[in-house]
Amino acid sequence: MTTDQLTSVFETFRGELKSFILRMTASVQDAEDIVQETYIKANSKIETFRGESSLKTWIFSIASNLAKDLLRAKKRWPENATDIFREAALKNHQFFQEAMQIRQTSPQGNFEIKEHIAFCFTCVSKSLPLEQQLALLLKEVYGFSVKEIASILNQTDAMVKYYLHTSRSRMIEIFDHRCSLINKQGICHQCTELNGIFNPKQKAQEELVKIEMARDAQNKNKEELFDLRMKILQELDPFESGAAELQLHHLEHNRQVMEKYLDEKE
Amino acid sequence: MKNVQSNPNSGDGKAVTTRTTFSRETSVSLNIEADPSIVWALLTHASDVPRWNSTVTSLKGEIKEGETVELKSTLDEKRTFKLKVKEFVPEKRLVWGDNMGSRVYTLDKNSGGVLFTMSEKIGGPLFPLFAKYIPSFDESFERFAADLKKEAETIQRSKK
Repeated sequence: MTTDQLTSVFETFRGELKSFILRMTASVQDAEDIVQETYIKANSKIETFRGESSLKTWIFSIASNLAKDLLRAKKRWPENATDIFREAALKNHQFFQEAMQIRQTSPQGNFEIKEHIAFCFTCVSKSLPLEQQLALLLKEVYGFSVKEIASILNQTDAMVKYYLHTSRSRMIEIFDHRCSLINKQGICHQCTELNGIFNPKQKAQEELVKIEMARDAQNKNKEELFDLRMKILQELDPFESGAAELQLHHLEHNRQVMEKYLDEKE
Repeated sequence: MKNVQSNPNSGDGKAVTTRTTFSRETSVSLNIEADPSIVWALLTHASDVPRWNSTVTSLKGEIKEGETVELKSTLDEKRTFKLKVKEFVPEKRLVWGDNMGSRVYTLDKNSGGVLFTMSEKIGGPLFPLFAKYIPSFDESFERFAADLKKEAETIQRSKK
């Protein structure tokens, strides 16, 4: 395969790769760096690609290893990370000023609840062990098979099944306990709360009926609700959506808050 | 109390307890139709154990040789057992315990998957004095093994 051929195929899934790394790292800068580094590494090792997997699987494998190298030394986030972010944001006047500025001036400054649902998943899934978070995203959001994930993570099919089952069960449990969109007793209302701040004239209930996961929460079981949550992520590109700039600003704030929080806990 | 009548390695999931004046040992074994790596992962990812294991309410720490874990079980929910991991041979054998006794988990690969065995021996010179206050482990052991089998086989069969 030539560099031109690699570049051409790489470009067909560069966006997916970048969003995958963003959802792993919660950092725009890291996502951009790792995607670039992945391309350079793939190009320099292209003669070792024997076609035993698809080129996409091979490239996601390189990117996953780079993400693992970056994240291995970092602590995982707590399950209640979003509570910590909320508390920090409420004390940070500058954060809201910047967010409002983006909301009012940026073409990607909309606030949409479904965007926030995807954003929330990025934060909550960082509480999973690293390998589990990787496997879950690769399967549930990016549609790789168990065999492909086994190749990407250099694990057996059995271990990948373990990662997938465990991570999915854990996420279902956390969202069932926390998310008020799917459980009336859920303790987190941040998406509707923020909707009230950024879209004060909008009625949250009218927005929620547009979101299948929230609309059908009473009629679906936990597994189905999780699948609907994953569908939201599958359909959104966190860099290209109409809410991208606002959500990425929010994500950057949260990552910085968490790094400080974890440092102070040590 | 049961007498030793059935083979503790029969794989039928029935707990067997034997008693002497100074010790008590309970064992259970069960055939699990799953890859040993799945069974091992379930046993050794501490924070995930309470999710599938109805006999454990909390398990904190890292299950690694030399580390100490803190376990709360349904046998005595008010008590936290601090257990040192004494042996850790991946997909084969795990031993943890304190100065009262040790629990041994073994996995033996077989044609259908794996034979899981768990045994715990407690005892010592003062054992006769407090023996009557220690509840039977039989039911808890049987539940532990059954929960492990159910979870491991669910994962093994999963297509997701």
